[in-house]
Amino acid sequence: MSARTIGGKWMGWQGRLGRQPALMFGATILIAFVLIALLAPYVSPYDPILQNAEVRLQAPSWAHPFGTDNFGRDVLSRVIWGVRIDLQIAILGVIFPFIIGTLVGTVAGFFGGIVDTLFMRLVDIILAFPFLVLVLSIIAILGPGLGSFYIAMALVGWVSYARLIRAQVLVLKSSDYAVAAVSLGFSRTRIMFRHLLPNAIAGSVVFSMSDAVLVLLNGAAISYLGLGVQPPIAEWGIMVAEGQPFITTAWWITLFPGLSIVMLAFGFSMFGDALGDALGVKE
Amino acid sequence: MSAPVLSVRDLTVTLNLPGAAPRMLLDKVSLELGKGEVLGLVGESGSGKSLFCRTLVRLLPSRNMRITDGRILLGDEDLARASEAQMLDVRGGRIGMIFQNPTSHLDPVMTIGDQLTEGIRFHQGLDARAARKAAVAILHQIGFPEPERQFDAYPHEFSGGMRQRAMIGVALSCNPEILIADEPTTALDVTIQAQILQLLMDIRRERDLSIILITHDLGIVAQTCDCIAVMREGRLVEQGRKRDLLRAPAHPYTKALIGSHPSMPPPSTGQGAVAPKAIGTPADKPLLEVDDVNVRFAGTGSLFGGRSGAVHAVAGVSLKILPGETVGIVGESGSGKSTLARAILGLTPIASGNVVFDGTSLREDRAAFLGRLRRETAMVFQDPYNALNPRLSIGDMLTEVLKVQGRTPAADIPARVGELLDLVDLGREFAARRPRSMSGGQCQRAGIARALAVNPRLIIADESTAALDVTIQAQILDLFRVLKRKMNLTLLFIAHDLAIVRSLCDRVVVMHRGHIVEQGASAQVFEHPAEPYTQALIRAIPDIDPDKPLLPQAAREVA
Repeated sequence: MSARTIGGKWMGWQGRLGRQPALMFGATILIAFVLIALLAPYVSPYDPILQNAEVRLQAPSWAHPFGTDNFGRDVLSRVIWGVRIDLQIAILGVIFPFIIGTLVGTVAGFFGGIVDTLFMRLVDIILAFPFLVLVLSIIAILGPGLGSFYIAMALVGWVSYARLIRAQVLVLKSSDYAVAAVSLGFSRTRIMFRHLLPNAIAGSVVFSMSDAVLVLLNGAAISYLGLGVQPPIAEWGIMVAEGQPFITTAWWITLFPGLSIVMLAFGFSMFGDALGDALGVKE
Repeated sequence: MSAPVLSVRDLTVTLNLPGAAPRMLLDKVSLELGKGEVLGLVGESGSGKSLFCRTLVRLLPSRNMRITDGRILLGDEDLARASEAQMLDVRGGRIGMIFQNPTSHLDPVMTIGDQLTEGIRFHQGLDARAARKAAVAILHQIGFPEPERQFDAYPHEFSGGMRQRAMIGVALSCNPEILIADEPTTALDVTIQAQILQLLMDIRRERDLSIILITHDLGIVAQTCDCIAVMREGRLVEQGRKRDLLRAPAHPYTKALIGSHPSMPPPSTGQGAVAPKAIGTPADKPLLEVDDVNVRFAGTGSLFGGRSGAVHAVAGVSLKILPGETVGIVGESGSGKSTLARAILGLTPIASGNVVFDGTSLREDRAAFLGRLRRETAMVFQDPYNALNPRLSIGDMLTEVLKVQGRTPAADIPARVGELLDLVDLGREFAARRPRSMSGGQCQRAGIARALAVNPRLIIADESTAALDVTIQAQILDLFRVLKRKMNLTLLFIAHDLAIVRSLCDRVVVMHRGHIVEQGASAQVFEHPAEPYTQALIRAIPDIDPDKPLLPQAAREVA
């Protein structure tokens, strides 16, 4: 697609952006997190993994605004560096399922018949297992780590996107402009990816934003269980897990990473909801 | 005129959007409706005629709309100032409404009978048994053949026409003084339309009911109404007694509206079918030959391969189209006319038979046949919005067609896009516009430009004017006439509207339940129809001349 069309589309959105406070608010939160992630080395006051036995378990103070943990690490610095990992989890954990699901859904919806049946039965099989159980078993087979987590998400998470896109494509392929495209001799690939997909994708884009929230929480949960990010790397899920034994005496170790998860999730869902309104997606 | 039941004075409705200047949607509309009188409210989409009727019962579609001035006098009561509680009695009880689409206005999970008795019990306070009796009486009156049994049937068990009857019944169940009918027959076939109009007239006579009939079809107004009010852009441009207004319209817009009604003879400049030209001799080689084509749709199969009965959508249809000819296919919904068009274009598989396009046969060489069709034919669709990809600008859409067809050198494409826009009378600036920002008529022109982009020899237009307002309809028909002359096009024009086909086509094919019932020169078929079905179909067209009555005989026979 030419830059001109994208430019034109963006111009159209700008007008709507201005009228959408929720969209602006969500976008502001997300942009703030991205900036923090990029500027982590410059804005974090301490080294996030440097242990200092002299300042163990200190309550929030001017020197350590979020306090310190049981190894004397600065919680604020760890939360700031954690943005990098958690943002990565949310984005990569969504982008692979999104791409796979979109392709599968488009092809299944467009061709129908045996292709559709095969893919949709596969979807049924995957949906028959509880989501987290499936993800955990895949990670257990591949070995702990973020790489395994992304693979597991890609293998399991695409089903929702495939179903969303397929349903849309099924409706759109009988629309008059799709029939017109066939009657004008357009190739199947062109009809699928230039005419049907762009019109079918809005719902999935919106869903991906709320999916990012779930993936983020899953990533944190997996790390909490010791299957994701490995210590001593700063990641919010691990921080919550590590602070758990001290919850009654040093609440700040768990509270601040927990709040960060909530804030990021809130940003994604605000942005997603408002994006849905702006794109005219009916749910 | 008897004393008015309803008198509206200077009714003004304003739209206040936050951050925008207030807009007047209805601008000082005044009119009166006498007892037992039928008022035709005419205008195009967006003229405010539906809004006017919703305002009468104070059901404004948005909170941002307000009645800012004027009075709505129903008897002594001013509805513009009545309380919500008073309005509850008025809605249904004194003013009943029926709508264009009965399917979405009837409750699908309630029986027809329950929907009738609900209103009877609420507004007339009868007990269940008496209400049922009253409901059965109404069902009988609105033409249900077995009211006792059909009382317990659900809306989906009925055809569109019967559902519309049911909706009229629901409106009558509250025994209103005024019935507002908003495009009640627009979604129906002509023969059914005639029946429903007949029913409305019968009810009017039996109950001395006053009716406001909203419609875009002046033919309907001419056949049923006593008075006409013409609306445009929220204003009442003209009103008066039917005959006076039709004979001597004062406002230019009313004149245009009457002039564009398709039952009028085409203007002398137009190339009509009224004086058929000599288009080649029968010895000419046909451009398109359809030979005994059958199309069947399988019933939905179950997992275990059981198939319910197949539907025979097109049954043994044969026809020939000569180069340069304009052929119309008419028929009611479900007659198989659209399926036939799709089958001809290779978009729907045919069960048996053959199609030959300019010597290339579908049976002998399917690939070559489809290849030629894709490069030498094009289709124009009914719904102009659904026919255009909403994400592509008109320029991008045309460019793509030219690129894929590959006959225009890349460097010439922008110039060709400009030419195509000129051909359909769209300004060149439309190249950058998207369908969403365009009107229905403009979208339809863009759709025609897309068809012309392949430089076709044959264009198939499937109900291409059905979704448009009358004046726009007339413009699109003119465009087809001009293009036909300029580009020596062959046109296959599918429509349910016989008047349009008559004004545009040289030859006409009448379809009914998948079969061709009759075909011949337009003038011949329309003036001297041989088959009873064609005769019934033609008689059901509401003529704009009130002296050519539609109702008494036409409705009865077809039923």
